[in-house]
Amino acid sequence: MRNIFMALLITIGLPFLGTEIAVAADQQGIIVSAAISLKTAFEEIGKLFEGKYKGVKVTFNFGASGDLVRQIEGGAPVDVFASAAQKDMDEAEKKGLIALDSRVNFAGNSIVLIIPADSNIRIQTFQDLGLNQVGKIAAGNPKTVPAGRYAEEVFVHFKLLPAIKEKLVYAEHVRQVLDYVARGEVDAGVVYSTDAMVRAKDIKIVAVAPVESHRPVIYPAAVVSKTGKQGLARAFVTLLASEEAGKVLEQYGFKAPGKNSRQRF
Amino acid sequence: MGLSVNLKKKVNGFSLDVAWEIGNELTVLFGYSGAGKSMTLQMIAGLSIPDAGFVRINTSKLFDRSKGINVPPQERHLGYVFQDLALFPHMTALDNILYGSNNTGKSGRRESAMEMIRAFHLEGLEEKYPAELSGGQKQRVAFARALMRKPYALLLDEPFSALDNPLRIEMRRFLRDIKNKFDVPIVLVTHDVTEAYTVADTLIVYSNGKVIQKGKPKDVFDNPWSAEVEILVNSKKSL
Amino acid sequence: MLESSVLFSLRLSFQVAAVATFFIIVIGVTVAYFLAQRNFRGKELLDMLFTLPLVLPPTVTGYYLIILFGRNGLIGKPIYAWTGWSIMFTWHAAVLASFVVALPLMIKTTRAAIETVDKNLINASYTLGHSEFETAVRVILPLAKRGIMAGTVLSFARALGEFGATLMLAGNIPGKTDTMPLAIYSLAGSGEWSQANGMVILLTLISGLFLYFANRYSKRII
Repeated sequence: MRNIFMALLITIGLPFLGTEIAVAADQQGIIVSAAISLKTAFEEIGKLFEGKYKGVKVTFNFGASGDLVRQIEGGAPVDVFASAAQKDMDEAEKKGLIALDSRVNFAGNSIVLIIPADSNIRIQTFQDLGLNQVGKIAAGNPKTVPAGRYAEEVFVHFKLLPAIKEKLVYAEHVRQVLDYVARGEVDAGVVYSTDAMVRAKDIKIVAVAPVESHRPVIYPAAVVSKTGKQGLARAFVTLLASEEAGKVLEQYGFKAPGKNSRQRF
Repeated sequence: MGLSVNLKKKVNGFSLDVAWEIGNELTVLFGYSGAGKSMTLQMIAGLSIPDAGFVRINTSKLFDRSKGINVPPQERHLGYVFQDLALFPHMTALDNILYGSNNTGKSGRRESAMEMIRAFHLEGLEEKYPAELSGGQKQRVAFARALMRKPYALLLDEPFSALDNPLRIEMRRFLRDIKNKFDVPIVLVTHDVTEAYTVADTLIVYSNGKVIQKGKPKDVFDNPWSAEVEILVNSKKSL
Repeated sequence: MLESSVLFSLRLSFQVAAVATFFIIVIGVTVAYFLAQRNFRGKELLDMLFTLPLVLPPTVTGYYLIILFGRNGLIGKPIYAWTGWSIMFTWHAAVLASFVVALPLMIKTTRAAIETVDKNLINASYTLGHSEFETAVRVILPLAKRGIMAGTVLSFARALGEFGATLMLAGNIPGKTDTMPLAIYSLAGSGEWSQANGMVILLTLISGLFLYFANRYSKRII
């Protein structure tokens, strides 16, 4: 009898305890929705922020930029939005989801072609993707994944589309493209150079897309207009654009957000 | 010749230990419910396996534990009528009877089935489903089905228990006809005293998993070997 | 409203569900028969293994399927080495995912139906000289027919609506593997709600219809 009572107490009590913690976090914390290619770098920047603002917790929500806009549109309680392309931020701006005056570009990236580390297919350029030996090519879904749009631009630039259309496998976000290549499910994939660093052991970078083959990859960030934490949200965006965050981003392979994305911070 | 059994089995605290032998006659296994009568039939048919012993019909051993012989029920070539008749509800009377045949020729099978239908007065009922038949009609279909292959022995597990008295009396006549037509050992399980007395050539009295008397009905009734047998045979109603 | 991509997803969904259901019937009925009629060590463990996809989140099922059938998977690797073919990102993968998640439904309903068949009928069939196989085909399965029908209908509906494991194994490739649930997911994700509407309504109606028939079969009305 006593055991049942204890079990019931714990089962019912635990959720309450949990919500207590959540409420506490809510009181002193911000939620940042960011493109998944920013994952590792942002986690470190988040710790930087928490170091500066003691007692504040940064919670990250990573995903494909298109999906993130959808979520904010749907009323997700997000305070800061950072996307991997201007297009998604433009959409958010058009829909009044962000505070216009807070928008800032904070990083740049380059597009690379990767293959599985143990692949024995000779791919050395983007054009090689048209070869018969290349079976499947992974890229982000252009509808929702910025890296997918950039990839499509590169394909169009090299006039590859008719030849490789049947080989394309769309992933839900760029890290999934990386995973497909790393696991050997596909023969090649198009990701950001920063992603390639994350699983360097399992993949090989064979080519970097020339600057003129795609729109510049410039990451914008902004405060979400419906945020209840104006002060903290703006502080985070300011941090993103600062030299301090720049050093972290550079560490993970990001570039300065200039038009020429080869520029270092 | 005939049917010879020696069966030992322990299950769920119940212990069966019987041995008897009969010729081409109608033998009744008589006793209280749960005495092991149905269990005996199931073992003879091969639907249940004894722990030890043997089952022999004429010159063939159907089962012998010591020699590792166990003929599957499909090949024992015995006729079995179940307590609830076990007619296939999704087949017509004719199809039920045809199911009992092992004749591979389609026309040969049909002919034998029609013969059975005539013999058991089931004309006109061929296309009816069991649910549409009367109690007595269902009986006759069940018997016809079991006898299609001209089995070496007939095992009847209280087939008449669901019938009312007038029908039961009619069934006794029916049984006698069967006995006359098919000269094989017939083992009938019942707990109806009158039935046991009137139809049996030999009576085997069961109690608690053992045989407590065997003999001609008149002998058993007039000279019970124990008080228990006396009680059993003297009860006016069914047990 | 019914543009070609929607029509493709519609056709693909039915194709995948139909093929998956075919295998589900063949394998499901067989497995259900053995679980119902035979006793062997580890029987309940086997039953639990087959039932697992019913209670596991589809993504967990998808995860296991990738481990088994991915290009570097336990089964996928030798297949790829032997034939140069991988099931990943093909419509066959969608069939596999649907098969795995819907099979338990078939097994459960069929096993229950078989277990309610009167044992005396089965014994009668044996004593009349018919083998276990013949008895299964002529007596047991016809009498378990309603349970099998209900299972078929439920499995088809479940296969039609499979999403999680399918997304992981077959990917969401427009014109190749985007079944209706996946297509709806894409359209919703890119804000094309009106295009998704048609498919959503269709799927809802079909699922409702199947549920209706499954119920009638179980209640022995059909």
